[in-house]
Amino acid sequence: MTFSEAFADLKETKHFKGQSESSTTTTVKSSSSNSIIVNTKQKGNPILKHIRNVSWEYGDIVADYVMGKTTCALYLSIRYHNLKPDYIHDRLKQLGHSYELRILLVQVDVKDPHHAVKDLTKIAIRSDCTLILAWTPEEVGRYLETYKSYENKPADILKEKVQSDFMSRATDCLTTVKKVNKTDVVTLLSSFQSIEGIIKASKEELSLCPGFGPQKAYRLQSLFDESFIRSKHSKKNEPQPSTSKQ
Amino acid sequence: MALLEYENQIFLDAFHEDGLLITARGLCVDRVFINFLKLYCDPANLVLVLQTSLSDEEYFLEELSALDVQNLPKQITNEYSANDRTSVYLEGGVLFVTSRILVMDLLTDKLPTHLVTGILVYKAHRIIESCQEAFILRLYRQKNKTGFIKAFSDQPQCFASGFCKLERVMKNLFVRKLYLWPRFHVDVKACMDKHKPEVIELGIPMTGSMKSIQSSILDIMNAVVKEIKQCNPSMDIDDLTVENSLAKQSLEQIIRLQLDPVWYQLGSKTKQLVSDLKLLRALLFYLTQYDCVTFYKFLQTLRSSETRLIHNSGWLFLESADSMFSHAKDRVYGSSKKTKNKKNDASTEVQDVSLEESPKWKTLSEILEEIETENKEDSAGLGIGRVMIVAHDDRTCCQLRDYLKDGAKPVLMDLCQRALHSEEHMAQKEPKRWEKGAMSRRKRKIEETEKDDHDVITLTQIVKRYESHDKSFEDENKKFDPQPSLSSESCFTVVSSSVTVIHPLQGHKDPFSFRKTLKELQPRYVILYDADIQLVRQLEVYKACRPGEPLRVYFLVYSGSTEEQQYLTSLRKESNAFEHLIKEKATLVIPEDINDMADIRSEVSSTSGVSSRKAGGQDKEPSKQKILVDLREFRSELPSLIHKRGIEIEPITLEVGDYILTPDMCVERKSLSDLIGSLNSGRLYNQCTSMSRYYAKPILLIEFDPNKSFALQPKTALGSEISIQNVSSKLTLLTLHFPKLRIFWCPSPHATAELFEEIKIGKEQPDSAVAMTITGDESEISDKYNYSTYDFVIKLPGINSKNYWMILNKVKNLTELIGLSQEELCKLLDNSNNGKALWEFLHHKHGVESKEGAAGVSKDTRYNKGKQKMKK
Repeated sequence: MTFSEAFADLKETKHFKGQSESSTTTTVKSSSSNSIIVNTKQKGNPILKHIRNVSWEYGDIVADYVMGKTTCALYLSIRYHNLKPDYIHDRLKQLGHSYELRILLVQVDVKDPHHAVKDLTKIAIRSDCTLILAWTPEEVGRYLETYKSYENKPADILKEKVQSDFMSRATDCLTTVKKVNKTDVVTLLSSFQSIEGIIKASKEELSLCPGFGPQKAYRLQSLFDESFIRSKHSKKNEPQPSTSKQ
Repeated sequence: MALLEYENQIFLDAFHEDGLLITARGLCVDRVFINFLKLYCDPANLVLVLQTSLSDEEYFLEELSALDVQNLPKQITNEYSANDRTSVYLEGGVLFVTSRILVMDLLTDKLPTHLVTGILVYKAHRIIESCQEAFILRLYRQKNKTGFIKAFSDQPQCFASGFCKLERVMKNLFVRKLYLWPRFHVDVKACMDKHKPEVIELGIPMTGSMKSIQSSILDIMNAVVKEIKQCNPSMDIDDLTVENSLAKQSLEQIIRLQLDPVWYQLGSKTKQLVSDLKLLRALLFYLTQYDCVTFYKFLQTLRSSETRLIHNSGWLFLESADSMFSHAKDRVYGSSKKTKNKKNDASTEVQDVSLEESPKWKTLSEILEEIETENKEDSAGLGIGRVMIVAHDDRTCCQLRDYLKDGAKPVLMDLCQRALHSEEHMAQKEPKRWEKGAMSRRKRKIEETEKDDHDVITLTQIVKRYESHDKSFEDENKKFDPQPSLSSESCFTVVSSSVTVIHPLQGHKDPFSFRKTLKELQPRYVILYDADIQLVRQLEVYKACRPGEPLRVYFLVYSGSTEEQQYLTSLRKESNAFEHLIKEKATLVIPEDINDMADIRSEVSSTSGVSSRKAGGQDKEPSKQKILVDLREFRSELPSLIHKRGIEIEPITLEVGDYILTPDMCVERKSLSDLIGSLNSGRLYNQCTSMSRYYAKPILLIEFDPNKSFALQPKTALGSEISIQNVSSKLTLLTLHFPKLRIFWCPSPHATAELFEEIKIGKEQPDSAVAMTITGDESEISDKYNYSTYDFVIKLPGINSKNYWMILNKVKNLTELIGLSQEELCKLLDNSNNGKALWEFLHHKHGVESKEGAAGVSKDTRYNKGKQKMKK
């Protein structure tokens, strides 16, 4: 990527100002289409080369990219931001609150981005944008693709997984006990066959499993016998008042 | 308690000037520590003690009361209410305070900081990881310049690794002096040489099959290490050698250290390989530690489970693995050719089992015999010397006791029978073929056991002994009576004329138990069945404390084994660590005015904070800047850094979020690895849900490690297609579902603190009263239930956050839960699906095809002592 390429889109922003008034009045193009809508001002931006998994087309929009009915993105390179700190404010002002999810997609292309990142974080929180950092044009492209292709994806994969197979569930359960690890679970199940067997096993039987000692066996056993409801008399209450009186 | 000469020197040094004291392991830094405690046990002082564990505290209290100290130290835990604490602080004396409570009290001024005489930091090496204590010390130094800070540690190797660790620790501790007391220190050496115990080292050769197993395991480890290198070409691989792997945990540590920053991005293969390595090292340890039967049984469970598991890195299919299995089998069954024809001939089966005795056992017996004869001769006129055997863990101890009591054969036979019960289950798959033979064999065996009942230990006997053993272990040390006849169960008499105590090295609740036992038993002979430096040092100190009394130490070690290697490596590592520290001490740069470092910076930053606020032209806030911080967050560095910027921190328990910046801004902090982990586990989704429910501006703070590159993922992680496995893809999906969620990308905690300060400019201050009322939808468990059982129950299928209380309230414990029928569970949970899922999970027979059949047999036979069946 050459410098001039990187800035190609940005040079055109001056034209953009002229056009922006008209575009704010036009209604956002309905994005029933299956492609990312790209602002014509982005023409020549090298990240377009990296949008390969999803189709894209030029359209008349306020944002730089529209990835769905409710999602849009503004692209900014930190190098450009350092040169023209006002640019992004103007763009954000034009954008207003017109999409539910507004991404401020920032490409980190300077060596020491910390100050700029802090700046942009503050800008993003003030203008209710979600800041996403990418480090290469490929990554920027990938984010755009992903936003488009996940437009209607449910959040199931992010939710707590309910693993169905017995082994992993049993591992989940038994490893809540301190010091018990995956190998121990295998050992336990192969010696006692079932959770029931493990719970019913005596401490002696438990402690004879390879990898177990009386300590671990004691831990397990006491867990099984411990009542669910905490007893009211805590042992430690006894000695302490006496020591504090001294 | 009289201190030794060098200990006295240590004490005086540390008393004279604040400093960090590092001694060699096992050199009894606690003896010096107790003297400090004793010194300050006076209501006129207020001395706080940091980083002591409960058992440490109890030990100290015991020792101090033995010294007739008035005004014993108090333990401040969460059982004191906030108001009680203030009055306790004012009473003075020595206080053991939980760090979390101390942070709170310092921040809320419940502790009269200016009155504190000083702080003693125990286990000072911990301060490297834990920022909480560093924060405490800084808060203390800010308000109190004159009080002392003395830190103690006996883990030199913790300070030696890493860049400038020592300097950082000392700055965190606000001390300028470093006192090093290695074992090779002139004073220590002089003292120890004066009272040298008689040491007899016994190198025991391993048996042939043990040697072959060891070399097989090493071969496999080599292969696994090679594969890890192959999978991760980016790794720095110079440290990855099998020699390194012999030292305790070090290889894994090296690998984890290198892979940790990218741990969540690793393929499952590498992870599996690393855990394999861990397993293999455990195998090496078990080889010398366990008897042949247990070892073989463990290998078998490995093989049977591993073949079922899909994730299998393949070492089991290596040739060396095969040879390991066959040698392990040989140790139990004798050489392999004999075992083939036993099916036909039931009568030979007992002979088939040719169990290999652990070579150390025999040596142990010989030593004991030698001691006995010596005791009889009593040439020096010293009376009968007591014997103490020290072995690695409780398990080994029990086995040694059984061995010494009954001889090798019965012990091994018994184990063999137990092991074969579980083999029985595996054999269920072909029940028909076995049934007849098994029946007859069982009968025979029953007769046999009845016959030599006095010889073979029966199950019930064992049970009884184990029980009493466990109980007596605790009081054994205290109640030990020198009369052999009264000795408790675990200290049994081998020969009528002497007392022998077997003591475990590890796995004991009380870390000081060895010392206590030594003190009370006063043995003349100590047999180290397993080697440990710390123990050797403690014995040296023990000897030095009793000048004139003879002490002989027998040192049992397999020559040419990894066990020996391990011991030598750990010795070398420690002395290397000290050499490193001595060098570092020479070049250490600690500013003179270290005590002022605590506050100067905060003043500077707070003034700059004020000026920037003015410059911003914002309304001047009369109230001070404030951030609410969750108590759990004090383990990280961030609260301390925020405080440094002059922002007030209010510690409270937050159920939603980690930091509340303004009434509508709630921050969940995630380090990069946390982020990936919690994206995978679903935790982050839940956290985002509750944050967006209660706050207008929920914020996800991604905090990068300042030492690593500032990037979400390596450039190579991006494939040609969109993959949900990528962090970036998951983050995308998260933002799609939480459009209100803001993301902070912070390259370091310092940057975060700065950002927080700037974000807060001109905003309202958060209200802790409001924040406290917000509770997450993951209904936090009330104090009503026991945490440990709750954690277990909530993970059971059919149980969720909505219905767990139905079980917890109505059922007594897990044992009772097991006994309930499916119908009863359905009724309890008020839902037939959940009840069914729960019941099936609890009663599912693992790895057995024909469920009913196996269930019946396995239950009947497990306790059937007489049954013996050879599968192989």
